[in-house]
Amino acid sequence: MRLALKHPGAALGIAFLAVVLLASFVAPLILPLDPLAQDFTATLDPPSAAHWFGTDELGRDILARVIAGARTSLTTAAGAVLIAGCIGVPIGLVAGFFGGWRDAVLMRLVDVLLALPGILFAMALIAVIGRSQMAALVAVGITGIPGFARITRAQVLALRRLDFVLAVEAMGGSASYSMFRTVLPNAWSPILVQVVILTSVAILLEAALAFLGVGIPPPAPSWGDMLRTGKQYLYEAPTYAVLPGLVLTLTILSLDTIGRTLARVLEDRQGAHLATLDEPA
Amino acid sequence: MAKGSLDWSQPRLGRRQAGGLLAAAGLAMAGLGRAQAAALNTGTLRVAVLADIVNYDPMQFSSQNATVMRNLYDTLIDYDARGKAVPALASAWKVADDSTSVTLTLRKGVTFQDGSAMDSAALDATLKKANDPAKGKNVYPTMAVVKDWTVVDPSTVRINFKAPVPDRQITDLLEFMPVISPAGIDSVETKPAGTGAFNMVERVLGQKLHLGANPNYWRHGQPLLKDVVFTVFSDNASASAALESGAVDMIYGGGARDAVRLRDAGYQLIQGPGQLVQVFRINTTMAPFNNEKFRQAFNYLIDRAAILKVGYAGLGEVTALPWAPSSPAADRSYDKTYAFNLAKGEALLKQCGLSAAQMNDWKLTVNSSDDASVRISQVVQATLAKVGINIKLDLKGGTEFVDAMLGGHFNAMFGGVGNVQKFPSRIATNSIYRTVNNPVLGKVIPFKDYVDAIQRVDTTMGSGPAVKAAYDALNKAMVNDSFGIATNSYNVFLIVAAKKVSGFVPDIDNLLVLREIGFTS
Repeated sequence: MRLALKHPGAALGIAFLAVVLLASFVAPLILPLDPLAQDFTATLDPPSAAHWFGTDELGRDILARVIAGARTSLTTAAGAVLIAGCIGVPIGLVAGFFGGWRDAVLMRLVDVLLALPGILFAMALIAVIGRSQMAALVAVGITGIPGFARITRAQVLALRRLDFVLAVEAMGGSASYSMFRTVLPNAWSPILVQVVILTSVAILLEAALAFLGVGIPPPAPSWGDMLRTGKQYLYEAPTYAVLPGLVLTLTILSLDTIGRTLARVLEDRQGAHLATLDEPA
Repeated sequence: MAKGSLDWSQPRLGRRQAGGLLAAAGLAMAGLGRAQAAALNTGTLRVAVLADIVNYDPMQFSSQNATVMRNLYDTLIDYDARGKAVPALASAWKVADDSTSVTLTLRKGVTFQDGSAMDSAALDATLKKANDPAKGKNVYPTMAVVKDWTVVDPSTVRINFKAPVPDRQITDLLEFMPVISPAGIDSVETKPAGTGAFNMVERVLGQKLHLGANPNYWRHGQPLLKDVVFTVFSDNASASAALESGAVDMIYGGGARDAVRLRDAGYQLIQGPGQLVQVFRINTTMAPFNNEKFRQAFNYLIDRAAILKVGYAGLGEVTALPWAPSSPAADRSYDKTYAFNLAKGEALLKQCGLSAAQMNDWKLTVNSSDDASVRISQVVQATLAKVGINIKLDLKGGTEFVDAMLGGHFNAMFGGVGNVQKFPSRIATNSIYRTVNNPVLGKVIPFKDYVDAIQRVDTTMGSGPAVKAAYDALNKAMVNDSFGIATNSYNVFLIVAAKKVSGFVPDIDNLLVLREIGFTS
């Protein structure tokens, strides 16, 4: 509560994300919302009691599609973060801990990935493996690897020469013990922040891919696809594009605010923690 | 017809079936057009288009070239608003009594934009290009009936046919034949070489095309406009905004929904006679569509009215046959017989003998570059789910889609077919309806009734019951074989214009004809 009062922006972000999460995973179980049900007698209807967000060009309920789209975005983002983290963190850990040729080789590989614009890389990958949620997830995940690798490496490089790490080695601790039991637990803070940041980037990238017409194929709902289709009907049904766009913007804004706040809080805490570890006995 | 609409897409008045009343109305309209033309002012017409032209070859019948084909070039004859063949570069033509040849008299005093004379030598060179499979492009298939041609004198050419050819098929050929200057025929893709009402002034690739009036144009008093500037817009919304802000005077080839909205806002909406028909194309060489009853079920399982509404904003008509309403083979009784009916469709599915897994084992390939196709494919997907057929959409863009369509790499897909307002056997110029070398159904297509029916249409002369019987046989074969399920006609080149623009000339293919356009104020 104290933290929430101290960081009201983050608290609002968390509250909004909680609503989105709850709506996307619980609402379909209790509300009669079908994102695929078509009604040709009610196409492009404005918001009403029956359809709070209005209907799309096929008479589908936009609210139901926004909620289902949230599920799509969040699961894609979660999968992408998992892929990026599972590959990027070990790369950064090994490169930063061992240095030398291992660092050079791994970081050049990461540089190659980093040199490719994320959206172009994702589009090329989707062109090869086809359009699906899995393809979007893998594409977004791969583009997130360099971020995790770089941040982990930087953190490991900073920790590597600290006394408590050197002490573990001096006492005969193995390299893997030092890496996974000593260095990694103290490197989590920026990685956690990166998780939040990449989640927002992944949601945005998934929406961008759908907006460009290479995301999850229809009729599966996706915020980006709703924006893409909705912009064709800006005159007739302005809420069609605006409301999904608003939800997308608020989600990204919430994650961004949470990420920034988390970075500040963890930075303060870790600084204090490391200062303690580094103090001479 | 809605307020503010001009609709030439309905059955034309000049057909043999047309009654005297309709003909009189058509004549009145033509007269009105002339009176209007006299009162129109010149100026610069600013046109918004959604794609740049591909090249200047009038035989390359791509949709992007529709803006210039009838303005840089003229054809041997034209069809008027009533669908009647009228002289153009050919001042007269005479079909032989046995219908095995047509003798053309070329108009004298016509010059190409390069200054050379339009004569028999030019038509000879043009026919050679048309008859060359590598150069004839879209005109080449129409030359299939032509055996050879003879240059009789500098202004007379006789085209000989392989067998007797119906009159309408002959006029379709002549109407489709632009005459190109022999000096420019080899470079026609990069430099226009026609007799048209306008000359090329400037082209900024992908952005702008500027045409200027041809001062030596052979049609007296035409063109009315001094200049025409086409601006390429990236999407409908920006083109619409340009029209509404007064930055352009007209949109050519915009989307149906925007056109309807602009019509309702007081702009003119012009629908030409050259419609396409949307067809649910079926690859009968692959399971489960090699099952006839399964295919026939789709005649009832497609909600045509919904497709017309969500795909084309209601601009067009539902049709169970691949004919525009103005086609002589159109038969509206089929629309009732094969109206959307899930129960009838389900009954045929039960008779087909396929398991549920087999019926679900296919994908609907979708042209992701075409928003209307994406929408209507979702309609079909949802409708089929109601009868237990759950399929996925396979979205392919641009070249990938065309490759699938022309290579037969699909189970089913939507694709518009053209030439549906012309002589009925012209339907066979569309890939799915080809009777030989069909890229989907094989070199020898397995539907003998359909092939025979096309042949019968081609060889039945006159205008009496025999012709109607030939059309009936063709329609019956198409529905029975069900390798293409027609859903609706639609207009590809809609014109939305400010009220001050007038003098629109209908073209059978909805190509843009600018020569009579002018401003009322």
